[in-house]
Amino acid sequence: MRRFSAILVLLTMLPLPVRAAKVELPTWEASESETYYLGGGLWPKSLIPDAAAAAQDPGAASGLAPGVAPDGTILPAAPGFEIVGPPAPGAQQFYGPQGPVDGSEATPGNRPAVIENPDGTFVIPEEIVEEEAYEPLPPLEGELSDLYFTHAPVDFLIDPQRLLTEQKSNDIKRFLEFHSDESSFRIFVMAIGETQKIPDHIDIEALHKKWFSDEPTVLMLYYREQPQLTRLVFNESVRNSLPDSVFDRILQNTLREGGVTELAPDQVEKMAIELSIQLYWLSKLMEHENKDDQARAANSTIHELVASSDAPELLREYAPGIFIEDTSKVISLVFTLIVVIGGLALIGLIGWGILAWKGRENISGQPLLFPDFKISPRLGGEFSGGGFVGMSFELGDSSA
Amino acid sequence: MKCPKCQRPVDHEAESCYSCGYSEVVAASTCGSNVVLLNRIHDAAHCLRKHERDDLALTLDQLELKFPQMLFCVYLGTLPSHLSLSELGFWLLNHGQVKGAEYARPNENAVLILVDMNTKQIGVSMGYFAETLITEEDAYRALMAARPNLVNSEYGEALERIFLRLGKTLDRKGRQLRKLTREQLHAGVAGTKNPVLDLPNHIAPHLVARVVARAEPIEKPLKSA
Repeated sequence: MRRFSAILVLLTMLPLPVRAAKVELPTWEASESETYYLGGGLWPKSLIPDAAAAAQDPGAASGLAPGVAPDGTILPAAPGFEIVGPPAPGAQQFYGPQGPVDGSEATPGNRPAVIENPDGTFVIPEEIVEEEAYEPLPPLEGELSDLYFTHAPVDFLIDPQRLLTEQKSNDIKRFLEFHSDESSFRIFVMAIGETQKIPDHIDIEALHKKWFSDEPTVLMLYYREQPQLTRLVFNESVRNSLPDSVFDRILQNTLREGGVTELAPDQVEKMAIELSIQLYWLSKLMEHENKDDQARAANSTIHELVASSDAPELLREYAPGIFIEDTSKVISLVFTLIVVIGGLALIGLIGWGILAWKGRENISGQPLLFPDFKISPRLGGEFSGGGFVGMSFELGDSSA
Repeated sequence: MKCPKCQRPVDHEAESCYSCGYSEVVAASTCGSNVVLLNRIHDAAHCLRKHERDDLALTLDQLELKFPQMLFCVYLGTLPSHLSLSELGFWLLNHGQVKGAEYARPNENAVLILVDMNTKQIGVSMGYFAETLITEEDAYRALMAARPNLVNSEYGEALERIFLRLGKTLDRKGRQLRKLTREQLHAGVAGTKNPVLDLPNHIAPHLVARVVARAEPIEKPLKSA
């Protein structure tokens, strides 16, 4: 009993030091609880109840309204503080539908408010989109016409009216220069307005012949943002060497690229690139079709390298528009079929060989009975006459 | 056929070797005239591991199932210098009794492989019936196929390979024999026409012909008389 009472006393005394010990917690100092008015338009004015008072006395506003802590958080309102009256007109809302809180008309630049009908449906007002209008272009007459058609062009991009942006114009010029260095065909792009017309007395074919008769050249006549009106003018010799379908395909592919975008500079750029690709394959095609070139190549001591064997495949892949299918498709199909069948047969043969090699020592199947033979004994042996075949397996000794 | 002792050719009906006089009587005087009991895999040299022995036993089971008449057995030992493998094979096949061999598998149908671990030699001894089915070339080819395993001391695999090769030979021979008619078979056994079996020929056939020719004139006067 005495021992039980001692344990009870010990248990009751143990928590006392724990209770007596105090954890020192940091105290909140009054100087740190001051709020600061940020000002400077950093916060919307609606968050400052009395902006005018705040402007006059920043310290006074802090006592009435929820202030902003130095770390940018909004401090809670003081006890007993209430915002009386509606919010300030035109107050900016951070959440919910945008617009003035009081239901007044939307300010210019904001989205128009959704109008709610009495039956619960909403009417979304149509947004008026302002189309970017170009200034009306003057007709191609007089001095402007002279800028286009009087002299042979020096730059590959003929755009005296600056219809394209400066940056894109430079890019297109550089590309056309690069193309002229690499290709046998040159490309000149003439950009005119969508409403402008070439004067009647100007013949583009005649001008092309006059300007570019010495070298294969393509003149692309481009109407601003009207790629479907684009014209391609080739040399007469080039036109006569190949069927019209080839040139129609080139034009179609070029127009297709131009139709991808809507902006004039992008259209010109894409069309020029596509035309460059098409002209590359056109030149390849002409090498094979043009008999004069072949004869010239035969007479020449310098021969060009023959196109690689995969050139038709490349042509089909990259320029399907001008690729002309030949009858070798059927032959290639038969050849492929033969190769596939031959390959399968070869695989089967190899598999059979492997199986035969693996099963060369395999003993299976039905039991095999031999016919009885009566053989006369020799050397006095009842069962064996000494039939023996031996071999040594000592290394370096291969005697039987 | 060759004499097991001197390896000289022996006629297939000779009572003893013409060169050294070796016969079963001489073998019995050397090794004993008693009958000895053999295991199917008799590893007197203790060079087979258990799994090798089990695998080999499985292969022999398959072979015995495929060829119900044939007896397949192995002897691995260390022979004394005065005893050759061929002599031991000759004696074992005539004096040995393999445990578990049924009446249908007499020793004359046996294919016994002998391995001498002292001289590193291996050989195949065959009974009368077995040697008609397996030629010396086939047996030698089977031994050569297992030579890499033997050199690497893989005796279990080597013996398996030899037996499987010999089994393949027997299978091929059985298919050949099945195609023959009864007349062809008897003719082949008699050796009169294109022998189908590799029976040993007489060493001196002209002597046999002379004996036959000498006997005929004797009979004629008797008939006439």
